[in-house]
Amino acid sequence: MLVTGIKSKPVYAPLQADMRGRYHLMLGMGVGAAPLLRVIDEMQSAAAGTLKNTRVLYVPDGGDTGAATGQVSAAPEIERFTAAAVADVQAFRGTPALLEEFRSTLGKSLMGTRLYVAGPESFIGLVMKIALEFNLNKDEIRAEECGTLARRVYCIHCRATTETVRTNIVQCIACDRWLLVRDHYSRRLAAYMGVMVDAEAPGELPPLKEVFL
Amino acid sequence: MNDAQTLAVEVVGIEQVTPLIKHFKLAAVGGGNLPAFSGGSHIIVVMQGAERVHRNPYSLLGSPQQLDTYEIGVRRMEESRGGSHFMHDGVVVGSRLDIAHPVNLFGLDKIARKHLLIAGGIGITPFLAQLEDLHGGAVPYELHYSVRSAEHAAFLERLRRREGERLHMYYDSEGQLIPFEGLLASQPLGTHVYVCGPAGMINHVISTARSCGWPDSHIHWEQFSAPPVGDAFEVFLARSKISVHVPHDQSLLESIEAAGVEVPYLCRGGVCGFCHTRVLELDGELVHNDHFLSDADKAKGSSIMPCVSRARCKRLVLDL
Repeated sequence: MLVTGIKSKPVYAPLQADMRGRYHLMLGMGVGAAPLLRVIDEMQSAAAGTLKNTRVLYVPDGGDTGAATGQVSAAPEIERFTAAAVADVQAFRGTPALLEEFRSTLGKSLMGTRLYVAGPESFIGLVMKIALEFNLNKDEIRAEECGTLARRVYCIHCRATTETVRTNIVQCIACDRWLLVRDHYSRRLAAYMGVMVDAEAPGELPPLKEVFL
Repeated sequence: MNDAQTLAVEVVGIEQVTPLIKHFKLAAVGGGNLPAFSGGSHIIVVMQGAERVHRNPYSLLGSPQQLDTYEIGVRRMEESRGGSHFMHDGVVVGSRLDIAHPVNLFGLDKIARKHLLIAGGIGITPFLAQLEDLHGGAVPYELHYSVRSAEHAAFLERLRRREGERLHMYYDSEGQLIPFEGLLASQPLGTHVYVCGPAGMINHVISTARSCGWPDSHIHWEQFSAPPVGDAFEVFLARSKISVHVPHDQSLLESIEAAGVEVPYLCRGGVCGFCHTRVLELDGELVHNDHFLSDADKAKGSSIMPCVSRARCKRLVLDL
């Protein structure tokens, strides 16, 4: 079965400011702060007024897809964003809280908005999934991958999604099948497809390897 | 598309809807349904004129759900190269015409969250069919329609009746202008803008949208401009091994077709890229009038869109 060399695997590029946009919405997780600060610098030197129309939503590292909700105020990254003269910065305890705010922000946003996303691919995927619902196209979104390569894996058999997968095969959290993690990516599900690996020869599993670090 | 794939139709109705616009209804010769189409589609009407064959694109303005007739609106052009005068003066109820199958280069974005339609004059025609699809749907839309004066407002009653408050009218005679900047700066995320009308209006909408931060993927436009006139020149078709004269008021594509060589085409307006042709030799310069090739490709000069583009040269050799 084809595991790599699949076209749907997303390709990312270093973030760059798009000065054609009128409003700039930035979303970051963990080490994703650095690329965002780089873009902010770029904007400041191009046209400092841009930062008045710039908003940052951020989850510090460790903020995961767990149940943590609400905002945090003490993350050191926030001070770095504020020091860079971005007026509107919010940090969240976890990705779900950030995504909730992101969704409500898009509902109020106008044409002319650009998205900048930086963080692990699983975070980018969840952001992109919501952006897609609001009909944002490729020319309105920029994403830079940084941080863990751990994947969200969708079980094509029982439709459950297993989070933070670092291995070539993984046992589905819902149906316990051993899944082969392919590069086949769904933007709609924000997950890689996992296919039962021992369907032909039950119990015969390839060696477990950590590959998505 | 070429003439082998045309449909024979009969004119079954003609109405003068404004001092300059006639509304034609076409039915299949022999009856029956015509091919299905989606809102924004156009057909090419092939007209056997006295001196030459005209092939003009016209948007289908009837409902995509009603296929017993096609409806088109034809504006009489002051400086007609013959096509619009042929339709206005030579075509009567009962006349037979050949048309090319519908093609849609101006379709609605299926996952847009809102549609903003902007029409100038005869540019209303593609929207009439699109509105049939939008009407009664869940996606919000509004139509901004600008005309010279009330007597030039084609299909106004039909629009008023169907669209009510979604229709916004602007009359030049009253000094009313579409507030492009205000409109484009205040649209919710996920809106698509569509514009059809005079070149000046289209260019203004595109540049205003861009300056408001709109990405190109949300900006849609269509214009059927007549091929620009220019100096006469000669072209040699390398594969057909014939030389063709291109008169000053005939397009390169029309001249090649008149010589019996078929070139694939869809829009005949420099937009779709179907007639893209390789340039093998050139001793002058190409006059690119299309919106298909990138500026870099135009500068390179290795290809041309013969539907609207010409050459200033002594010798042009094409891969045809």
